[in-house]
Amino acid sequence: MAITLTHYLVLASVLFVIGLIGVMRRKNLLMLFFATEILLNATNIAFAAISHYIGDLSGQMFAFFIIAIAASEVAIGLGLLIVWYKRTGKIDLDQMNSMRG
Amino acid sequence: MIDHILTLLIFFPALAAMLGFVVTKDSMRAYGIAVAGIEFLLSLWLWYAYDPMVSGMQFMESAPLIPAFGVNYLLGVDGISLFIIILSTFFTLIGIASLTEKRRIKDLIITLLFLEMTMVGVFAALDAIVFYVFWELSLVPMLYIIGAWGGPLRIYASVKFFLYTFTGSLVMLVGMLFMAYFYYQATGQWSFSILEWYRLILPENFQLWLFVAFFLGFAIKVPMFPFHTWLPYAHGQAPTIGSVILAAILLKMGTYAFVRFSLPLFPDASVYFMMPIAIISIIMIVYTAMVAYAQEDIKQVVAYSSISHMGVIILGTFALNVEGVSGSVFLMLAHGVVSGALFLLVGVIYDRRHTKLMSEFGGLASVMPRYAAIFGIMMMASVGLPLTINFVGEFLSLLGFYKQSHMLTLTAGTAIIVGAIYMLSAYKKAFFGNVTNEENKNLKDLNKTELVGLIPLTIVAIWLGVYPKPVLEPINNSVESVIQLMHDKAQSEEAKLRIPDLSGKNGTNTMQEAN
Amino acid sequence: MELYLYIALFAPLVGSLYSALFSGSPKSQQVGIVASGLLFTSFLSSAILLTYVMSGHTVHVEMMTWMATGDLYIPFGFVVDQVSVVMMMVVTIVSTVVHVYSIGYMDHDKGFNRFFAWLSAFVFSMMVLVMSDNFAGLFIGWEGVGLCSWGLIGFWYHKESATWAANEAFIMNRIADLGMLIGIFLIYWNVGSLQYDVVFAEIGNLQPVIITWIGIFLFIGAMGKSAQFPLHTWLADAMEGPTPVSALIHAATMVTAGVYLVVRSNAIYDLIPNVGIFIASLGAFVALFAASMALVNRDMKRIIAYSTLSQLGYMFVAAGLGAYWVALFHLMAHAFFKALLFLGAGNVMHAMHDELDPFKMGGLRKVMKGTFVMMTLASVALAGIYPFAGFFSKDLILEVGFVEHHYVIYTVLLLTAGLTAFYSFRLVALIFHGEERYKLFGIHPHEAYKFMLVAMSPLLVLAIIAGSFKMTYFQLVMNLLPATQYHVHDQTTYWIMTIGTQLFVIAAILFAYKKYANWSNVPDGSSAMERSFFYKLLWNQYYIPKMYEEIFAKPYAELSRIAWKQIDLKIVDATVDAIANGIYKTGENTRDIQNGNLSTMLRWMVVGLVVLSILAVAFTVGYNAVGA
Repeated sequence: MAITLTHYLVLASVLFVIGLIGVMRRKNLLMLFFATEILLNATNIAFAAISHYIGDLSGQMFAFFIIAIAASEVAIGLGLLIVWYKRTGKIDLDQMNSMRG
Repeated sequence: MIDHILTLLIFFPALAAMLGFVVTKDSMRAYGIAVAGIEFLLSLWLWYAYDPMVSGMQFMESAPLIPAFGVNYLLGVDGISLFIIILSTFFTLIGIASLTEKRRIKDLIITLLFLEMTMVGVFAALDAIVFYVFWELSLVPMLYIIGAWGGPLRIYASVKFFLYTFTGSLVMLVGMLFMAYFYYQATGQWSFSILEWYRLILPENFQLWLFVAFFLGFAIKVPMFPFHTWLPYAHGQAPTIGSVILAAILLKMGTYAFVRFSLPLFPDASVYFMMPIAIISIIMIVYTAMVAYAQEDIKQVVAYSSISHMGVIILGTFALNVEGVSGSVFLMLAHGVVSGALFLLVGVIYDRRHTKLMSEFGGLASVMPRYAAIFGIMMMASVGLPLTINFVGEFLSLLGFYKQSHMLTLTAGTAIIVGAIYMLSAYKKAFFGNVTNEENKNLKDLNKTELVGLIPLTIVAIWLGVYPKPVLEPINNSVESVIQLMHDKAQSEEAKLRIPDLSGKNGTNTMQEAN
Repeated sequence: MELYLYIALFAPLVGSLYSALFSGSPKSQQVGIVASGLLFTSFLSSAILLTYVMSGHTVHVEMMTWMATGDLYIPFGFVVDQVSVVMMMVVTIVSTVVHVYSIGYMDHDKGFNRFFAWLSAFVFSMMVLVMSDNFAGLFIGWEGVGLCSWGLIGFWYHKESATWAANEAFIMNRIADLGMLIGIFLIYWNVGSLQYDVVFAEIGNLQPVIITWIGIFLFIGAMGKSAQFPLHTWLADAMEGPTPVSALIHAATMVTAGVYLVVRSNAIYDLIPNVGIFIASLGAFVALFAASMALVNRDMKRIIAYSTLSQLGYMFVAAGLGAYWVALFHLMAHAFFKALLFLGAGNVMHAMHDELDPFKMGGLRKVMKGTFVMMTLASVALAGIYPFAGFFSKDLILEVGFVEHHYVIYTVLLLTAGLTAFYSFRLVALIFHGEERYKLFGIHPHEAYKFMLVAMSPLLVLAIIAGSFKMTYFQLVMNLLPATQYHVHDQTTYWIMTIGTQLFVIAAILFAYKKYANWSNVPDGSSAMERSFFYKLLWNQYYIPKMYEEIFAKPYAELSRIAWKQIDLKIVDATVDAIANGIYKTGENTRDIQNGNLSTMLRWMVVGLVVLSILAVAFTVGYNAVGA
């Protein structure tokens, strides 16, 4: 059985849904970052696969961009997280509501 | 200098207002009078230099602002806008000269000078975006005047005033953008110049939609029934100077815009909506006159009378013939002078007694005879007695509309009856009878500061009633060109019929076979 | 001649402005004298113009443009022709007399100077009204006299009744003015001009329907000024003003403006005889209607006011039947004797310290000889006894009715003539004859100043001899008005009619004397007559003022209150506020979304993502479907 585009896309979708559920359910900020990474990588797989199948390199280029952005996002995010942890001693999402409108 | 007189007229007060921040508080009043005086003289010079025989735009100025979208700094005046500009500068001068406000007078004068800039800007602008900018800017100083110097409910009143008119203007802005887009579609170029727009003949269904969009913005400003309720609050809470400027000038923006935009841009839609608008105006005239009759506060009487008179102006505008439109433009000036004066007069008694309830007064005629006399003259002008300024406008407006509909004019003509009813009964309550209230026994008659404002207004009210020609003639010439433009552009049979053709003007074309 | 025209026109204005200058300062005699002098100048100029016009010329000037826009062109144009010069003479004579008289009458009044300012302003407006050469100019004067009438009725502004009457008069006149305005609009849009000469030349080319409407609307205007039914109530109430005002405005000049309008527009009314019949019928009705109310009234000035109303009815009968010159002639004669009557009543009022009830007077002829003679003669003239002025003018109107075969109108007018004689002499008898009932009230009457009586004397002379001008007058106005002679052809019928009328009138006079000359008590409402239905009906003026109050004034006030409190505040404004509140509430409710909790926010983000994805899919599918 050859591996077709569909397989890749199904994999990407499954990963994406896992990531999404993680984003919605997790209260721990660190876990939230993991979930976001899963989301991004799901799209990366989809991009790379589609790019390969239609023979257009733009998709893979996008994937690289996303990897770069994800890396910097995690770097800044973890930095903020550490600062936050030092200040409050917690990384619970529900505690962060100073933006209440 | 004559080439840039309009720019000068617009930005001189703003510049002077900026400089005003460094003037000391004691000399601020003199400074304000000087600036407003110079501005008024400049506007008089504009009149002097204006050629009444030319019907088109004069003193045109143009500078590109956003060339990519055809937005230009385009100015010009014709007979229709010339006198409203003069009225604006005149009232700013009168307002500052007869200012009795004690609180933060420096800020007030600076605000007034900014307001003057926006007013002149609105009437001189020939580019829709520039027009819109000044139109909206004019809200800010007025919001500030009501909100900072107003009565107890000032915040509610000013917010209502602002939001209400602002909502209307946003719809108008959408209309303007669409109009420009339509122009782009038709010609391949962007333009916001009103004069360019005049040349465009729009399909009738487009006209209807655009007309409604513009109408909403203008109608709230006028204010037309049922969008009028912000006005009594604004007048009720505004300080005297605010009411004067609001009634005399700001309301005229709406009616002026009808003549400047709605009529020439949408001739077919104007004819299509003529009757509904006439009915609204009649409701305005009669209904608000009745509401005015029921008021207990003399300032509210004047406020509602203002709405009632605006109804006549709208009616004259939608007569769509030279008599009616000239009359309505003239009535804008007349109403400005008379209602402005009436608000000043109400302010006089408010300064003395800090109440505006008519039941508090009575018998003022014997305590303050000069005040009663000037109030009487202005009241009679408001009622529309011949040889006062209002009569010319009202007579021509009604005369014009009579051509369009006999029955509606007959109904609208009740304005002269209901107007007399509320005005006379208010006058009777305040001025006639015996002085019953002890506090009124020792009231002082008009002082010099007040007379400085009121006497010129009285003179104008009678002078232009007896001899309206110097004003009416330029108005007439410009209105004729507007009507001719409308006739040429009109597409529907009915519009061609309703809007007279002046091209073969020989005095007989209005002879109409009666049906 | 133009100079005289301008002098005649503007001298009163100068007088008015001059007096107005002093209106703030205390009373000064010179103001009255200057104003009267200027009025006299105006009279002299009018007289010079009269001789000029009698020699067959007319003067027509155009002073300047008033309004000009579109095809409309209205100048300040003035014309002195055969009709306007007659009116000018009437106005200036009566007003000069009234001005001089007022110097005495208003002697003790604080508002002396102000009074002359208003009075002269009135004369100016009236001159504009009669001299104008177009309908718009007429309308200026028309509204001007209305304004001055307002100011003068409400002259004693501290009196509630006076200011009420002033407002009533102004508003009622305004109702009629709307009709007039519509008439003017109709003329303009159909003829294209408002100049008399153009309009009257072109009016025949219009469709009859249009002419009829023009006629009707102009007449509605006339009905207001001339207080014809149903707009008559203001005239009786207008008696609140000072008596000279009643003499000048509400007897001699302003109220006859309506008649003048119809006479002036004879070219229009000639074409619409049906409207003419209506005018005549209404006139006859008003003549009888007003006379009946005068029968029982106990207010001296109101009785004379009703008699004025009744005589205006006569004038409209003549005008409606096409006898314009007769109407104008009666207008002139009536102005003289009615002004005289009012001024006499003013003397009595002064003597009686503003008492108006004739039942409280009696026997005044002993102390007020001059006034007694004048009022009696004026009443004789009013009753139409030969050879006084009333005989020539009033009997002529009866003849017109007879000759034109309107026998109902004739009968009504004849009956009215009897009533007129009765109530006039009821008044004279009650005031001047019988017991001196005023003594009960502790009043010490005295005759008016000598110069006031002297000032009145020209009117007395004219009231006696005005009839003898009839032929001269006829020669003059026939240049402009239809020169129909109204003669009963059969000599026998003529003599029977004339002598019969005279006898009838004399009988009425004698009856009045018999009944009232020896009156001794002041009625207190207890007698059988006073309790009868008809008496009450007439006493309450047919309940018409009450009815107007109930039908118009009160509901209007109530409706206004509803419009404000219920509609404006509770519906219109509340709707606006409801919209604003709705938006505000929506914001308040959706505020929970922004609760600052990151996980909630993330959830909303996911919701947004899902919604957007669904939309994207839906649009793609839809687009493809349409594209295919």
